[in-house]
Amino acid sequence: MAAALKLGGLTKRYDDGTLALDELDLEVPVGSFFGLLGPNGAGKTTLISAVCNLIRPTAGEIAVFGLPGTSLEARRLIGIAEQEPNLDRFLTVRETLIYHGGYYGMMREAATERAEQMIDVFDLRAKRDVRAPKLSGGQRRRLLLARALLHEPRLVILDEPTAGVDIELRHELWRYIRRLHERGTTILLTTHYLEEAEALCEEIALISSGRIVARDSADGLKRHYGVDTLEQVYLKSVATGRLAHERIEAETEAEAAL
Amino acid sequence: MSEGDVVAIGVERPQPWRGFVWLALRECHRVLRLWTQTTLAPVISSLLFIVVFGLSLGGRISTIDGFDYEVFIVPGLIAMAMAQAIYSNNSSTIFQARNDRYIDDVLAAPMHSWQMNLGFGVGGVFRALVIGIALTALAAPLTGAPLENPAALLLAVALLMAGFGALGIVVGIYAQTFDHISFVNNLVILPLTFLGGVFYSVDRLGSPWEQITHANPLFYVVEAIRYGFLGSSDVSAWIAFGVIAAIAAALIAWSQYLFSTGRRLKP
Repeated sequence: MAAALKLGGLTKRYDDGTLALDELDLEVPVGSFFGLLGPNGAGKTTLISAVCNLIRPTAGEIAVFGLPGTSLEARRLIGIAEQEPNLDRFLTVRETLIYHGGYYGMMREAATERAEQMIDVFDLRAKRDVRAPKLSGGQRRRLLLARALLHEPRLVILDEPTAGVDIELRHELWRYIRRLHERGTTILLTTHYLEEAEALCEEIALISSGRIVARDSADGLKRHYGVDTLEQVYLKSVATGRLAHERIEAETEAEAAL
Repeated sequence: MSEGDVVAIGVERPQPWRGFVWLALRECHRVLRLWTQTTLAPVISSLLFIVVFGLSLGGRISTIDGFDYEVFIVPGLIAMAMAQAIYSNNSSTIFQARNDRYIDDVLAAPMHSWQMNLGFGVGGVFRALVIGIALTALAAPLTGAPLENPAALLLAVALLMAGFGALGIVVGIYAQTFDHISFVNNLVILPLTFLGGVFYSVDRLGSPWEQITHANPLFYVVEAIRYGFLGSSDVSAWIAFGVIAAIAAALIAWSQYLFSTGRRLKP
C-alpha cells in the first residue's frame, strides 16, 4: 500500500534566497498519527504548504496516496487547518463550511448536511449565523478544524492547531483529533509543543533547517539519543541538524568559491 | 495505491466544475452582501451625470453626430460605470482574499487554475451587468436613448467585461495595498475614460488631440458601446471591437499566467 504522503527531494528556496526545505525526504504511512516537530523557521509550514498547493516548490516529488501531489485527485484527499485563522470575512460559520464543501466538489445537500454535523461536533451551533470576524479566537480555531474535515479528507494536515489557545480548548481539540484518527484518518500534525507531540503522535519526525534530522516513536527517539525526555531529544537532534546543515552550506560555498 | 484504488474505497472523484460554480456563487454572494456599495452607488452617480450634464446642460449644447447631448453621453457613461465596477470588484476581491489568506481555501481545492481565475471574475461580471441593465432601464426612458444594435452591444459589453475583469484580477494579484487598486482606478481608468470621448465627439477635436485620443484604449471601449446603442461611432465598429478584443486577450492571458504558475499568488 502506498504511503499517505511521500516526499522525495523536496526543496523550496524562496525568492529572497532563504532555503526553507533542503532535499527533504519523508514518508507518512496510511492511518498513522504523525508529528512534525521543529523550531520556528525549521520548514514545517513550508512543507505542508507545498503538499497543499499553497507554495511553489523549487524541486522534488510529492505523492498523496500514490497520486501526484499536483493532481486534483490528490487535492481532494487532503484537508488542511492552517496555523493562522484564514476565514472568509464575508461568510457566516455555516456558509464557510458549505462553500468549502462546494469548492471540494460536494453537492449542496451533502455539503449542507455535513456542515450541520460539523457545527454540532465543534460546538458552534450558537454561532451558526455569525460571520468569521465576529468569532472569538477559540471559535475560529474550531471552525478552521471543522472546515478542514468537512469534505472527509483521508489525510488531515494540522499546522500548529493549538498554538495560542487555552488549556481547556487544547484538550478539547486533542479529543476531536484523536477521535478522527481512531476512524482511520491519517493525521500529519506540526507543533512545537513537545507534550502535544508525545501525547498524540505514534511517530515523530524532527525537522531542522529544512531537513528531517530524526524520526521514530517518542520512546524510540529517547532511546536513540540516550535521554529521558522528548525535550532533550529535541535539543540534541535539532542542534545536531543545524550544525550539519551549516557545515554542508559552508562546504558548498567553499566549492563554489573554487 | 492507484487512482482506481482510491475511488474503489469510496472516495468521491474531484468535481472541479462544481468547485467553480461554488466559487462563482461566493463572488456573487459578496456583491449582494455589499449591494449599496457595489451596485446602488455606481447607478446613482452615473444617473447624476446624466441628469446634471445631459438634462441640465444638454439644452445649451447643439446635437452631436445627430443626437441630442443627453442621448449622446448615455452609452459612454454606462461603459464607464460597467468598466469601473468590474475592475473594482475583481481587484478588491482578489486583494482581500490574498490579504486575509482565505484564498488558500480555493488554491488548495481540487479545481483547475483557469476555473479559479474565471470563478473569481464572475462576481465582477454579475455586478457590471446589474449596473449596466439598471442604468439602461433608467436612462433610456429618461433621455430617449435608442438601442440600435443589440447584438453589437452584447459583443461590446462582453469584450469590456473580459478586458476590465482580467485587468482587475491582475491588479488584485500584484497590489500590496488598497492604494494600488485605487491608483489604477482613479489615475488610469477614470481619466482615460473621460478623455475617451464619453462627453464629446473626437471629430470635434483639433489636431493633435484627435490623433492622441486614438491612442487611448478606453476610446475604443466607449465607441463600441456607443455603436451598440446609437448605431454610429467616431471609428469603425470593427476597429473598435478588434482593439478591445486584442487588449482583452492580452489581459486574460496575463491573469491566467499568474494563476497557472502561482506567481504572486503563492510564495
